[in-house]
Amino acid sequence: MSYVAEGYNSFETKKSPSGIVRYLPDPKSVISLIQSGKLKEHILLVQGGTTTFLAPALSMGSIGVITMSGAPESHLGILSREFQMPCVMTAYLTGSEARYVTGGNNDAHFAAIIKALDGKKVKLHCEDRETGRVSLLG
Amino acid sequence: MSTYKDRYKSADDGLRFQDLVYQGNFKGMDPVPDGILGDKVLRQRAKSKVLEKVSKEDVLRDQFTVDELNDLNNYLAWNIWDVLVMRATEGVSGMIPRQEYEILAFMHEFYRWPEILEMTTNEVGAQRIIDIGASARREIGTKVNCVHDWCIGAVGFGMGRCGLLALEAIQPQDYVRESNIILKFMQRILWGKRQDGYILNSQDRYRCRIHEKDILDKLLGQIEYFEPGSEKHDSLVRFNAAAELLSFLDHYDCRLGLGDTGPYELPDGKILIIRDLFTNEEVYDWSDVCDHENVPHCYTICLVIDPDKMGLSEIRVNDISTTFTRPKNYIEHIVGGAVFVREKWDTPMGEVYPVKISELDKRLEGIQQATFKLYTKFSRMSRRTLITNGMYVYYIDMILPHLRLAGTYEKACKDYEFWEIDQRVSNYYYDIVKRGFAQATVPQKIFSGEGYLPFPDNVSLTRSKYYWK
Repeated sequence: MSYVAEGYNSFETKKSPSGIVRYLPDPKSVISLIQSGKLKEHILLVQGGTTTFLAPALSMGSIGVITMSGAPESHLGILSREFQMPCVMTAYLTGSEARYVTGGNNDAHFAAIIKALDGKKVKLHCEDRETGRVSLLG
Repeated sequence: MSTYKDRYKSADDGLRFQDLVYQGNFKGMDPVPDGILGDKVLRQRAKSKVLEKVSKEDVLRDQFTVDELNDLNNYLAWNIWDVLVMRATEGVSGMIPRQEYEILAFMHEFYRWPEILEMTTNEVGAQRIIDIGASARREIGTKVNCVHDWCIGAVGFGMGRCGLLALEAIQPQDYVRESNIILKFMQRILWGKRQDGYILNSQDRYRCRIHEKDILDKLLGQIEYFEPGSEKHDSLVRFNAAAELLSFLDHYDCRLGLGDTGPYELPDGKILIIRDLFTNEEVYDWSDVCDHENVPHCYTICLVIDPDKMGLSEIRVNDISTTFTRPKNYIEHIVGGAVFVREKWDTPMGEVYPVKISELDKRLEGIQQATFKLYTKFSRMSRRTLITNGMYVYYIDMILPHLRLAGTYEKACKDYEFWEIDQRVSNYYYDIVKRGFAQATVPQKIFSGEGYLPFPDNVSLTRSKYYWK
């Protein structure tokens, strides 16, 4: 199987959720998604690895998350484990050399990931102890 | 089959949880790894005995030597790196400007806490400060816990001084007296809590087994056992996660909302983690939404984990009260649990009550509603308000539990204007957003360890800061 993206695996799990990637740029988009009633149809794509940004989505049962920064030790990593919600962190595109740099300007890197994943149907693979992977479906 | 107990053998160096290594002030020496081996290296490089088991007489002594101050500075700097360097990759929140509020709080604490901590020690005496630490041994739902106690020294002294040095607001020889006050307060609280001569969990192979046996027995008497994957398992896990999330949110995305102790080994070989989740802190005005949903001050969750089924190879209850394991996923190996409620921070322990797992769903609904309302409230706040509120969470909450128990919180508010923001720190607000100071400079100084400059060898122990330029 080929993977479009991979990153840190928040925790090992046989759960392998699939759904349409939805990039969430701001709190309004999080609230809007929850109010739409379609939260569980989506794999959520977010920039940060902090937990408050996604708080209501986690609380209401989101099925999977891809972040573009952060690690299993980040607050979102901890909470994804507690919720048993698969989470691929600091994801990068397997076809690109670009990687997240802590404290650096990552705008182009983030834009490329959003362009490649937003709106696509994907599946998360989180069986491995260290690496979480993302495959394209359909 | 588990191997985690091998980590407690004196010759064992523990596992590595990360590939990164730490340099800090040890230029020209081998870099330091994380975990048990890192602790050993730091202690080998210490010039004093302050990182070994210390006596009550040592702790009651009012003054550290310069070597002791520098050893504590180096150890805390490594410890901060050890527990937080990977978290530091998490980037911006999109909701709460945490890096900005953090650096302001660090510096504010370093400026303001010494006077307030000294007043508290003068009011109640050094022995009472030790006793406040010891009170955590007989209570659950208390914020006198690892993360708060650690923050006194690691954040107020370590990161505060580091941030001000990075801003070039102070020099390495400044504020020696004030540094001693902060670190003594921390040492007394932590020593009283642990009672084994150490102050930090990392010195004891990441164990925080502080609760007295009769307290543990009472908690264990309420444990409900179940099969992993059963309805009860799922209910408990769901509740734990939701309450933990609200605790993070009520504390502005920081770990002051949760506190783990353990691992306590049970007679049948299972292990117990006791987790306090502070879901409603009354000192914050935004917690009104938690009141409206009848969310208590604290839910305490007892989690019984089967280490053999998990194949547990290492468990760390680190100094910021968070449990990490290898393998990472301990949740699916929880085989028993119990939930307790402490309605207010000062509810007597005799009035803390258990809740059956089958009765958690209604409480879960309240937590979810409070979470959504709190999120909506935060989403309407300005950036400036979010930074100010977050700064208060750090600056107030990190020493709030100690002041409450000492009976000096009201005095701190009234006579020392605890809730005022120092003018210097108010002005720094405009500096920290320039040239990536909060986003890049400070994290680099803090997590490389470069910013924790030592005190000069010949510095006067009574030196404060006498001029500004």
